[in-house]
Amino acid sequence: MSPRDAVGEISPELGAIRQVRRRPKLSWSMRIGGAVLIFYVAVALISLVWTPYDPLTPGIGDGYDAPSAAFLLGTDRLGSDMLSRLMVGARYNLGITLTAVTIALCIGTTIGVIAGYHGGAIDTVVLRAVEIFQAFPGLLFAMLVVQAVGPGIVMLVVQAVGPGIVNVILVLSFVGIPDYLRLARGEIHSRRSWQYAEAARMVGNPPWRVAFRHLLPNSIGPLLAFTSINAAFVALITASLGFLGLGLGPNTPEWGNMIARGQDGVMTGQWWVSFFPGLAILGLTGAFYLLGDAISDLTDPRRRR
Amino acid sequence: MSGELLEIENYSGAFRSPTGELTPVLHEVSYRLKAGALTAVVGETGSGKSLVALSVLGIQPPSFVRSSGRILFRGVDLLGLDEKAMRKIRGAEISMVFQDARAALNPVFTVGRQLADVYQLQHGGGRSAAMKQAIEALRRVSIPEPARRARQYPHEFSGGMAQRAMIAMAALICEPSLLILDEPTTGLDVTIQSDIMELITDLCRVGGLTTCLITHDLGIVAETCDEVVVMNAGRVVETGSAQAIFTQPQDPYTRRLLAASQLVEAAA
Repeated sequence: MSPRDAVGEISPELGAIRQVRRRPKLSWSMRIGGAVLIFYVAVALISLVWTPYDPLTPGIGDGYDAPSAAFLLGTDRLGSDMLSRLMVGARYNLGITLTAVTIALCIGTTIGVIAGYHGGAIDTVVLRAVEIFQAFPGLLFAMLVVQAVGPGIVMLVVQAVGPGIVNVILVLSFVGIPDYLRLARGEIHSRRSWQYAEAARMVGNPPWRVAFRHLLPNSIGPLLAFTSINAAFVALITASLGFLGLGLGPNTPEWGNMIARGQDGVMTGQWWVSFFPGLAILGLTGAFYLLGDAISDLTDPRRRR
Repeated sequence: MSGELLEIENYSGAFRSPTGELTPVLHEVSYRLKAGALTAVVGETGSGKSLVALSVLGIQPPSFVRSSGRILFRGVDLLGLDEKAMRKIRGAEISMVFQDARAALNPVFTVGRQLADVYQLQHGGGRSAAMKQAIEALRRVSIPEPARRARQYPHEFSGGMAQRAMIAMAALICEPSLLILDEPTTGLDVTIQSDIMELITDLCRVGGLTTCLITHDLGIVAETCDEVVVMNAGRVVETGSAQAIFTQPQDPYTRRLLAASQLVEAAA
């Protein structure tokens, strides 16, 4: 066979390869994390319209019923159905986590982008303020701030969903803001003198457009990845606060709260009361971690292959 | 109106080091860009040719301190304009093509979207109309399959293709009166260089676009440009028509530059 024939045989194939525009292949961590998170969201939504029993009513079972056909995940000490409480708990844990993370992301990123792009005095003032803020133990400082000003600002929301939840959300988002701020600030600061920033200014874009429309999208990957990992942390803290009995009312079917309620049972063999909420928390944090990992791979166009 | 679109008069300045010392880099730079002509600014690296061009757009490095001079665009001193007025000039009146086109394109947006964004910024209108303009601009700079190419990201473009896209953005989408090209062919293959230069001269001749080409490649200049400004060490050493510069160079530095580029015999 002459070399020319060989080329003739290969080239149609090459042509075919060139034309196929492959969609980014989803990694396994993305699929698993995404599936678990969708499952949690679905459970939370279903709990709005249907649960097997009323989660807040005690005495449905005898108390400490083992998992059975009637009570799939058993009942707790007071005889409330564990499955119903877990389902409603998804609403609390997921809702608090997502709201707190979103607030922190929006506020932190906005301030961070402005500080990073402007530089100079604004940058210095913001960074020093953040350093002072972070020098305090985060939770303590946030608690104090929320105690001092929180209820006044958010009275309407407070009346709608209850002061406990609002306080927990505010505390968690407050503690998160500095991290987002520093990340966004660093990202923008390192990119603001790149050529495409220069090019964007050259065609007449005003500063805010260069910062938010041209530079910020380049930082979406690191920001989203951090958001997801931060969400895992926030989910854990939410449960920890519940476990310690801070913020939410004692009968709230929040997972950390439920673990605390099941502590005595674990000692005497009724493992399911603490085990299933623990598993739920583990699943949620794990899903956020996996997603965070996968997002950083996916959002960088140069790594899409 | 006189034939000059841009006049740079006695422009001098220095770089301020972090410790506050001033290092003079531009000395009384004066040159003019004739309307509709292709003017080359030549000189070696560090001669200040790019710095002057950046000053025209008001995007010179913050450490640069001007000590004297005016930059008149249509008789208005650009150095006296505030940031807001300057933004109206950038893109709409004066636009620029950078040396490394792939670094000047935003890596996270498709090329078509970036061109469309600029179109919307300059001319308004809807997204789909802007996208049509973007694809049309890519077609006019001879990018094959412009509709498919418009959906691709900058890292999928070769250096030459990216430079074409940048030229499409700066010249066709912005529709400026003055186009500044800062070493547009540096780093490209020789064959691609001549393609790009052909494109630039076409735009200049056909569109009547006033063009300022900053380069150190005298071969390109000899083939294409009308006027030549020779700069060395922050000074303009010689200006004149391309014909005059290549046949009767007056300044010793110009002569040495020509000798070094081995174009003397060809031009003489």
